Amino acid sequence: MAQSSTHAVHASPGQYTPSPRTKTAYAVAMFLGLVLFAAALSTDKARAWHSFLVSFFFFTNLGLGGLFFAAIQHTSKAGWSVNVRRFAESMTSFLPFAAIGALVLLFGATSLYTWLDPKELAENALVRGKSAYLNMTFFVIRLVVFFGAWLLFQRVIVGRSLKQDKDGDESHTVKNVGTSVAFLLIFALSYSLFTVDTTMSLQPEWYSTIWGIYCFSGLFQSSMAVLTIIAVTMMRKGLVRGLVSNDHLHDLGKFLKGFTVFYAYIGFSQFLLIWYANLPEETIFYIARSNGTWMAVTFSLLIFKFAVPFLMLLPKAAKRNPAVLVTVSCLILFMQYIDLHWIVYPNLVNGDFDKYGGNFILSWPEVGTFLMFGGVFLWSVTNFLSKNPLVPVKDPRSEESCHHHVTY
Amino acid sequence: MAKRVGGVVGLWDDDHAVVAAAHKVRQAGFVKFDAITPFPVHGMEEAVGIKRSWIPWVTFIMGTTGCLAGVWLQYWTSAVDWALNVGGRPFFSGPAFAPVMFELTILFAALSSVAALFFACRLPKIDPPIIDPDLTSHKFALFIPENDVGYDAGRVEQLLRQVGAKEVRRIAEY
Repeated sequence: MAQSSTHAVHASPGQYTPSPRTKTAYAVAMFLGLVLFAAALSTDKARAWHSFLVSFFFFTNLGLGGLFFAAIQHTSKAGWSVNVRRFAESMTSFLPFAAIGALVLLFGATSLYTWLDPKELAENALVRGKSAYLNMTFFVIRLVVFFGAWLLFQRVIVGRSLKQDKDGDESHTVKNVGTSVAFLLIFALSYSLFTVDTTMSLQPEWYSTIWGIYCFSGLFQSSMAVLTIIAVTMMRKGLVRGLVSNDHLHDLGKFLKGFTVFYAYIGFSQFLLIWYANLPEETIFYIARSNGTWMAVTFSLLIFKFAVPFLMLLPKAAKRNPAVLVTVSCLILFMQYIDLHWIVYPNLVNGDFDKYGGNFILSWPEVGTFLMFGGVFLWSVTNFLSKNPLVPVKDPRSEESCHHHVTY
Repeated sequence: MAKRVGGVVGLWDDDHAVVAAAHKVRQAGFVKFDAITPFPVHGMEEAVGIKRSWIPWVTFIMGTTGCLAGVWLQYWTSAVDWALNVGGRPFFSGPAFAPVMFELTILFAALSSVAALFFACRLPKIDPPIIDPDLTSHKFALFIPENDVGYDAGRVEQLLRQVGAKEVRRIAEY
């Protein structure tokens, strides 16, 4: 199969060059974020690390979501998505920074995880019983193995796609099918354990067997939102004329709507079983999230992460309208942040009730850490897109993607 | 197609050719004509000028009705007619009602969509007119009914031949 592809290409993508203003904005976001994070560390260490965990998890999800999207397209040998695949691949360029973020997270582990506290271990038999899994050494080993595996798959899957841009060799496409299947299987296990380690273990007595899928639903929903925003941005710049059309947006909008419903389905499944069984060791999670202002946040997830995006994306015209898609995507990304905040912060504010009043808090430490990660993420995405062609035009299915037409 | 009407039919054996021909027939000013193809042909809706179906509205409205019916059914049975104390929960328990609300939304939406489809397509048809048996396997047709604006049998036959029909014939009913 090592033959050069000779199919005709209808259009070639433009060269994306981020403006100096864009680059400055990212640099300012990174710097300002770093300063605010440092300030937060010196004033309130525990809060700084909680905000770090939320932003780290948010952007790691986006990096993984890009790789997951590319992998399912390779696995299903999809033709329509070829011309938007590069945007998903650009999101994976954050993964090396996510790995660094995971290393930094280890410095704050004692401020986050009570299972590292010897006093807690001595007093709490339930947590002691889990110490064979929840201990620092094994935690570090797991993080290293997970990020190692993800980075390896990113190198191989995205690397082949980039190599194909140069040599046009169709065997890259063929080989990526098997690699993607392997990635999806490994991803299912590694991501589930990753979510258990980083977020579920914040409350080590509590467990939910649907936790990995709950986090995954947010991962895919928010990744599709970012992918849609990148696609619309590149279309508005006129860089992908004849390659990415409203028909591609229509299908991305369907994905966005589909996984908005999926999020609600998984979120409600988790809640319903815990609510019905009414076991104290399970209900603590929702009781902490129904105290004070948290109840409003809980309901905002139902309304603004499911009902509003779902109804907005329901009409066909909305999914073909870039302005509507970007609005919904921004709403979903904001709510994804609130969702992760809702997962992490009750453990902080309820742990030290006097200091925070047990209520929802969101202020400069959270915004600062988010800016720090956001700056790095956007920098790595734009850097990737400016260094590589915006569309994998030598992919054997690129032709099919150029003629993509959605009727319904 | 309200009633059965006669008209002129042109036959093609290529799906791209029939879409191109439909564009031209539409440009010629005909508005009530129809295309008959053995499979969905991309771009045919635009070519023939078919508007969006009204069936999604039926789906949406009946889905909403189903959801509300789910609330009412459970409210009436669990909180009014035969109130039972289940684990000390309120009689009207939102979370417990959600699965049935969801199921009734789907049930109402799906069944009424199918019913609306049958109504819109006037199904079942007991004795559908057969223009050409090959239209269900490898031929494509454009049908211009006699009640269309500016219909003139001779002129229409000529037009269909002009836009590339392999075969043109008058039919008594469609």
